Amino acid sequence: MVRQMVVESVYCKILNDGGFRSDGRRQYELRDINIDLGQQGSADGSASVSHGLTQVLVSVFGPREAKMRSQTIHDRANINVEVAVAPFSTGERRRRGRGDKRILEFASTIKSTFEPVIQTALYPRSQIDIFVQILQQDGGVLQACINATTLALASAGIPLLDFVCAVTGGVHSTSPLLDLTTLEENDVPHVTVAVMPRTGKVTLVTMETRLHVDRFEDIFRVGCEAGKVIHKEMRAAVKERTRSVGSGGGPDVGDRDVVMEERMEDY
Amino acid sequence: MASISLSKSEKSYIQTSLLSTPPLRGDGRSLLDYRTIALETGIAPLANGSARLNIGKPTHEGGGGTEVLGAVKLEVEDVENGDGVDGGRIVCSVSCSPAAYPHLSSNALDDLSYDMTTLLNQTLSHPSLHPPNLCILPKKKSWCLNLDVIVLSDSGNVYDALFMAARAALWDTKVPITRAVEYQAKRGGKNPQENTDVDMDTETEQQSGFDTRHISRAVDFELPDYWDEGETLAGQDLWPVCVTLNIMPPTYYLDATPQEEASTPLRLLLAMSFPKSASSRLQATRLLGPGEIELSQIKRLIQEGEKHGRELYSALEAKLREEDVRRNQKARDKFVLR
Repeated sequence: MVRQMVVESVYCKILNDGGFRSDGRRQYELRDINIDLGQQGSADGSASVSHGLTQVLVSVFGPREAKMRSQTIHDRANINVEVAVAPFSTGERRRRGRGDKRILEFASTIKSTFEPVIQTALYPRSQIDIFVQILQQDGGVLQACINATTLALASAGIPLLDFVCAVTGGVHSTSPLLDLTTLEENDVPHVTVAVMPRTGKVTLVTMETRLHVDRFEDIFRVGCEAGKVIHKEMRAAVKERTRSVGSGGGPDVGDRDVVMEERMEDY
Repeated sequence: MASISLSKSEKSYIQTSLLSTPPLRGDGRSLLDYRTIALETGIAPLANGSARLNIGKPTHEGGGGTEVLGAVKLEVEDVENGDGVDGGRIVCSVSCSPAAYPHLSSNALDDLSYDMTTLLNQTLSHPSLHPPNLCILPKKKSWCLNLDVIVLSDSGNVYDALFMAARAALWDTKVPITRAVEYQAKRGGKNPQENTDVDMDTETEQQSGFDTRHISRAVDFELPDYWDEGETLAGQDLWPVCVTLNIMPPTYYLDATPQEEASTPLRLLLAMSFPKSASSRLQATRLLGPGEIELSQIKRLIQEGEKHGRELYSALEAKLREEDVRRNQKARDKFVLR
């Protein structure tokens, strides 16, 4: 879409008097979460997660033999995270190469979030590759990447200490908001929190804007609670996937058997 | 092409099966059969046109197959001061996800992406395919069409997938309708600084009656309807499809799996365009691989390739029209029924 200098007579309120946000949600309401754990390509585990309009695809390979011997660690597995952003993921087309500083920082954030969670001591001298592909951005990209990575690792069967559930939170003049869109992220100071829901431990807190210290505690606590809510969704998705894989491909298998029997009767 | 490594005996096994009578392939297809191709347009709502294509995704298992995502974004460019070209330009780029080629190092992946980019760019930005409605203001502003293709997974026959996804994304592209705008100083002395917008069509009285030149004084443009997606990109029937002939003398076969690709030393890529009003055209050819072939064979192969290209083209067009109907008409019907 071409950005024209059209003067809008109504400006978008972050939180209006009725308690609704610009996309119709309430203050603490999260966006629709869509999780797809179907296999992608030849990956050992993959997950496609979308929070509202933000869509992210993560593929995990490993543990496998490291491509570069120099990167192996003698008593643990090496975690390698690579992030790719689609040029058409934002409103303005922006092509970022793989060596872009922002992207490298993003990848190292994800890596340090998962290093204490993945049980790397079980796989010495091997490598676990996490490939993140960002398909659409509408705020909360880091949260979507972390959630998708957790699910992809679980789907690959890599042992984790716990799920890692991430959520963004912001404060709009004393009212905390959860799960921000791009519009809200541009306007409001926000923080991304990643928690391990069973123990309540936090593996990531990151913020790039300025926030008053008094407000921080509120939004931090609310973010941790929201992480537990996302955990429920993720667990349900993993259970569903395990059930369908465990029963040997689901209802279609039954159909195939029926077709085979019919064919055999023809003979 | 990034192929997986096979042992010599496995390669020989595949080659012997292909050359036997009747020819045998690992998944039971004939030499000229394509795997199932799944196509969906409009998958990136922020883009002006987009498509997602998957060759060979087994329906009951899910996952696998060659998956390619293509999207078109239009940007306004300044012809005088910026990079713009009068009449618009097309720039293509392909990026391979590391998940598609897990055995390649990042440098090798870059090289592969660059090879694919060059092929796609050189073929699609050729003047013979240039659509006429990429111009906004002649000699001042024009559209730059950026086609970005991402390879999400590769299970053989990626070049056919690239061109099909590119064609589908370009078919789906809508160019916003613009209207030229000219600024005119307000006549009548009192406020000489004020400017008002005037449409191009109105005549100005300062022009002399003898002056028959039509000099455009439009300096800017506007969107008459901000919410309108626009008109479809012209030249929909010109965008080429690609057919990869895997040459196994004395025959050839189509739509190779990764193992078959590793066993075939030579491949011929043919990008063909089938315009409605003219005869079919060969837009690009590439010969890939370490093998060799006699020159006399090439002509026969190109003719055979054209037949397959035509079938692929009409099948793709039927699907694209069906997608148009699904997204526009059916969506409207569903909305009305709500």
